[in-house]
Amino acid sequence: MQASNDTYDMNVVRQFSIMTIVWGLVGMAVGVLIAAQLAWPVLNFDLPWLTYSRLRPLHTNAVIFAFGGSALFATSYYCVQRTCHVRLFAPRLAQFTFWGWQLVIVLAAVTLPLGITSSKEYAELEWPIDILITAVWVSYAVVFFGTLATRRVRHIYVANWFFGAFILAVAMLHVVNSAALPVSMWKSYSAYAGVQDAMVQWWYGHNAVGFFLTAGFLGIMYYFIPKQAGRPVYSYRLSVVHFWALVFTYIWAGPHHLHYTALPDWAQSLGMVFSLILLAPSWGGMINGIMTLSGAWEKLRTDPVLRFLIVSVSFYGMSTFEGPMMAIKTVNALSHYTDWTIGHVHSGALGWVALISLGAMYYLIPKLFDRELYSLKLVEVHFWTATIGIVLYITAMWVAGIMQGLMWRAVNADGTLTYSFVESVQAMHPFYVIRFAGGALFLTGTVVMAYNLWKTVAGAQPATMTIPAAAPAH
Amino acid sequence: MFGHLWGLFFDTRQEWALIRSRSYTIGQLYFGFVLLVALIPPVCAVIGTTQIGWQVGAGTVVKLSLRSAIAIAVLYYLAMIVGVAGIGAMVHWMARTYGAEQPLSQCIGLAAFAGTPLFLVGLMQLYPVLWLNLLVGMAALGLNIRLLYIGVPVMMDIPPERGFLFASAILGLGLVALVAFLAGSAILWDFGLAPEFVAGAVTRPGA
Repeated sequence: MQASNDTYDMNVVRQFSIMTIVWGLVGMAVGVLIAAQLAWPVLNFDLPWLTYSRLRPLHTNAVIFAFGGSALFATSYYCVQRTCHVRLFAPRLAQFTFWGWQLVIVLAAVTLPLGITSSKEYAELEWPIDILITAVWVSYAVVFFGTLATRRVRHIYVANWFFGAFILAVAMLHVVNSAALPVSMWKSYSAYAGVQDAMVQWWYGHNAVGFFLTAGFLGIMYYFIPKQAGRPVYSYRLSVVHFWALVFTYIWAGPHHLHYTALPDWAQSLGMVFSLILLAPSWGGMINGIMTLSGAWEKLRTDPVLRFLIVSVSFYGMSTFEGPMMAIKTVNALSHYTDWTIGHVHSGALGWVALISLGAMYYLIPKLFDRELYSLKLVEVHFWTATIGIVLYITAMWVAGIMQGLMWRAVNADGTLTYSFVESVQAMHPFYVIRFAGGALFLTGTVVMAYNLWKTVAGAQPATMTIPAAAPAH
Repeated sequence: MFGHLWGLFFDTRQEWALIRSRSYTIGQLYFGFVLLVALIPPVCAVIGTTQIGWQVGAGTVVKLSLRSAIAIAVLYYLAMIVGVAGIGAMVHWMARTYGAEQPLSQCIGLAAFAGTPLFLVGLMQLYPVLWLNLLVGMAALGLNIRLLYIGVPVMMDIPPERGFLFASAILGLGLVALVAFLAGSAILWDFGLAPEFVAGAVTRPGA
């Protein structure tokens, strides 16, 4: 390798950053397609591999693991080098994580439409792909923690704590939940049976939210918000306290996905109580993010990227309030299995995860190519289309969900059901059209971003970033 | 006080300045404006859901029983008048972070007048067509947000860029309050305040 030891290794960061945008476009486009299918089922075209049931896991895998995952790889590799003043540990292994992760995504994109699935939500990929994921993830841990171990700054910055917790927890969750007995190349059965299987699945499922979609993205928040705002974190002590509270509490909250099922009642109540407690550490993070931005008033006027970051943290606050509310058993009795859940997920996924990733990419990509953003005006256009899209999406799902919940439990005086199920399906049509419009707006914003970034980097040479000579005192 | 309505929609910035200069007391705000305007949505909802009813798909017209509609409307009304004061109090509490020093009454005034479009759009509930109500409600929400972003710097007497952040914080708070309202309703429904449906003209076989 010609690269010397006094520059950072930004090659893998560039690769993952670009793929973040590419997979974002793909995953969101599939989402818009399946939203359209729910409103107009004829869009299935009677093709098995275009049915909703096969494309839905493709959508979730593409946005969570391909888009979100690439954003996390890119930002964590960037942040850990910059805050440790050291070149990436084992760059070849880092290359393996990039190509291995892309291979996982391509395999998912092939197997899921073919109907090959383990049927575990957010863990649909079959065992050969799961083994590849494990290999990539262990390599990721080696690169990340190896870089930390060889750091030239004594202190470990808090963003790296969040990234580290995310990497360790996801490894544990993936290995435990994916334990399965293969019966053929593309079919396996879970190692657990009955309600234990359900509990392991939602222990995994909820912590995929807690660690993949929260801890990792809090790492992004703690690096990129202070950078873009040009101000230190509001309270470093709060960041450390809420880190430990968050990682301790999240792991217990999974049973709230199984209210009123065969899961023992005490386990359901435990899940509910821990979900309620979770509000405190979640809001600790939100307050820290917002207060860090609060001093950057004069910048907000000229910096649309900062708006992405502040709105994302606001949506984080909103959805982490909504989550504990929905975990209350009484509320869950109405909200579960309705579109309220879908709205909640998307206020987190679009409002928090996507906006903060996109904001971080607006910061990162021009820097990686040593260019200024092509157009701030287009960033502003993106900001408004995305925000309006999210608001349309979640309000439509709130109304749809409450309506479903009410219709399903409505009974006449003589005890018969007021509505048949299909009536509730029919009643959803207008809300599904509004949801489709919201999703399409969000996708449009991302297309605008892709164009803007393309114009920014086209023809540019990769930037060389020099490691500061001596590690300054912290 | 209702004289402010026209100005709020058509000459927003001026009207906010005028409201600020009047320095209404909490009593004036409540007895002169909030208690009255907050009557619109629940009264219209009672009439709409018990007299006109709504239809889902090709199903029959469904109405609420008068008893159930009134019980829900009373809580709805209480939630709104408490909500205005609550948001006003939160605005007052957050003000120092954004470098604003305003009496509680001004903060409640901000919450009350910024919420005007949502109160007025309650009229739509006279004729409950859910998706239409949702679309009109979203338009009202848009106006609401516009009033808020213009109103915050004026009422709180702070520079616009700080006002933008403050208004965003208030909006976030509003969303949280909305979610709390949804969850609270779901809990109350479970404790016996569930809407009581009355099937309309067509009687089901066997009923």
